[in-house]
Amino acid sequence: MRDVRKLVLALLVVAAAMALSACGGSDASTTASGGTGTGADSGKSAPEAGKPAGSEDVPTIVVRNGEPVGGVKELEYSAGEEIRFRVSSDAAEEIHVHGYDLMKDVPAGGTVEFDFPAELEGIYEAELEGLGVQIVELRINP
Amino acid sequence: MNFLPLAHALASRQDLPVPAWLFAWGASIVLIVSFFALAAGWRTPRFERLHERPLGAGLSRSLLGLPMQVLFGAIGVLLLGFAIYAGLEGTTAPDRNFALTFLFVTCWLGFPFFSAVFGDLFRPFNPWRAIGRAVGAGFRAIAGQGAAHLRYPQRLGRWPAAIGLIAVVWLEVVYGSGGVVLDPKAGAHAALFYSVYTLAMMAVFGVEEWCEKGEVFSVYFGMFGRLGIFGTEDGRLQRRRPFSAATTWATIPGSAAMVIASIATTSFDGGQEGAFKDGLESVFNWFKDGGMDPTAALRLTDTIFMLLCFAGVALIYLLGVRGMRTVPGAPSLRKLRDGFAHTLIPIALAYLVAHYFSFFFFQEQAQFTYLLSDPLGTGTTDIFGTASAGVDYRALSANTIWYVQVGALIAGHVIGLMLAHDRALVYWPDYRKATASQYWMLAVMVAFTCFGLYLLSVSNG
Repeated sequence: MRDVRKLVLALLVVAAAMALSACGGSDASTTASGGTGTGADSGKSAPEAGKPAGSEDVPTIVVRNGEPVGGVKELEYSAGEEIRFRVSSDAAEEIHVHGYDLMKDVPAGGTVEFDFPAELEGIYEAELEGLGVQIVELRINP
Repeated sequence: MNFLPLAHALASRQDLPVPAWLFAWGASIVLIVSFFALAAGWRTPRFERLHERPLGAGLSRSLLGLPMQVLFGAIGVLLLGFAIYAGLEGTTAPDRNFALTFLFVTCWLGFPFFSAVFGDLFRPFNPWRAIGRAVGAGFRAIAGQGAAHLRYPQRLGRWPAAIGLIAVVWLEVVYGSGGVVLDPKAGAHAALFYSVYTLAMMAVFGVEEWCEKGEVFSVYFGMFGRLGIFGTEDGRLQRRRPFSAATTWATIPGSAAMVIASIATTSFDGGQEGAFKDGLESVFNWFKDGGMDPTAALRLTDTIFMLLCFAGVALIYLLGVRGMRTVPGAPSLRKLRDGFAHTLIPIALAYLVAHYFSFFFFQEQAQFTYLLSDPLGTGTTDIFGTASAGVDYRALSANTIWYVQVGALIAGHVIGLMLAHDRALVYWPDYRKATASQYWMLAVMVAFTCFGLYLLSVSNG
């Protein structure tokens, strides 16, 4: 009797394991890349359909009163892609991309553009250096 | 308002969530391994004896002798003193000051990681123990007899250390979350406060007694040290079977609380930006809308969730213990509860590795380059010529990090199962009953391991 129980248990476990791997497998292809942006403040991170990152569609973060309009911009890339985004601000600020350690000044009422290869994997942020306010979350997938 | 994990104040990088396919593979392997563990377990305990082999007498004498004890102790005291000095006098930028990275990364994570392999490494360097022993020796020299101590209330056991652990993590990730980052000065003040408290407790209850039960870092690091392969016995260094020293760890009341606190606090920190984010946000908004100051609301919310994590982990463990009680011939509930606590140590370690391994790896580059050359972060010193070095984030690929994270959880699961099976054979010499009892511990461990995988896989967006 015990052997039968063991066998049934074994089959159940293997079946459960296969089911798990199967749904995992189908999910794997849904990893998005390119510049999909969502407002992190909403708490719901359903990504909008990403537009191809052509020169006309560079994501732009608008900073007003020391805050990014629409919340922290989430930008997702695959390693090796080109990271491009613009920041326009109503006040003079220094923009700091962490990890990559890039700094650029933006004048009051002006716009500054970042354009660099996504060579570091992981999650990094860009912030208004003076205020310590995060404006962008960069996700670089392998 | 953001809910930010410990890593945030110090590192510029965070891990990507484990992808769904790897989560599925990890969980599948856990289930399959667990099944084989039930089917193919051994029939006599293998870890319940230490299986120690003494190392060379000369080596033991030189490493454990008084001169080395004094030297290691002095190093510990000097480093703690320097960290406090850097915290008080250095820059207030958390990531540029030696203090926070040294205390909360190098020591707080380094001692568990390395002790789990080599045995308790903290004990010789423990600065408070060193001071306490030096004071005790001075007292004996002057008074001609040892200082009288109060008897430590045995019922308290390791509860002071377990509560202390929660307090330390609270300081790191709750007090220092949101807009209010834990700054080096606050860290230094906390270290000073803790030093005064610890030395006072040592004076009251005795140095070794307090280190064994109440001193947070001794108990916490020592717990992981029980997994390691070196120990001391009768004044000699011993090489022992891995994990075997863990079997005698939980004989003191409150030990279960300690290991549960470890799993719970890591879970909380790991889930702040992912699994718990929505829950945290709604509770936070509820407090804030009730007219509470945002910082206070954030801290209260975090505190509640951290305690909920403790309650949740404890509940799962206690349910498993209660289940085992139903197997004929089971010892008392209390004996079971304390008797299986040590089987969670590998799981607690796996949680630590999964959540902090990459953070530790990258932040140690900072520790040994610019934080060493310019410890105060003022830009005025360059002791080793590495003040302008940076962290190389290419040193670990995202894939490597994922495999280490999932691999750690699976390994912790397997070791936990082995220890639990071993202990069951002590309580139920009948092999079949022992196996029957282990359905329960198996369920507990699968729950913890899959929860760990889940925490890793939830997008922290």
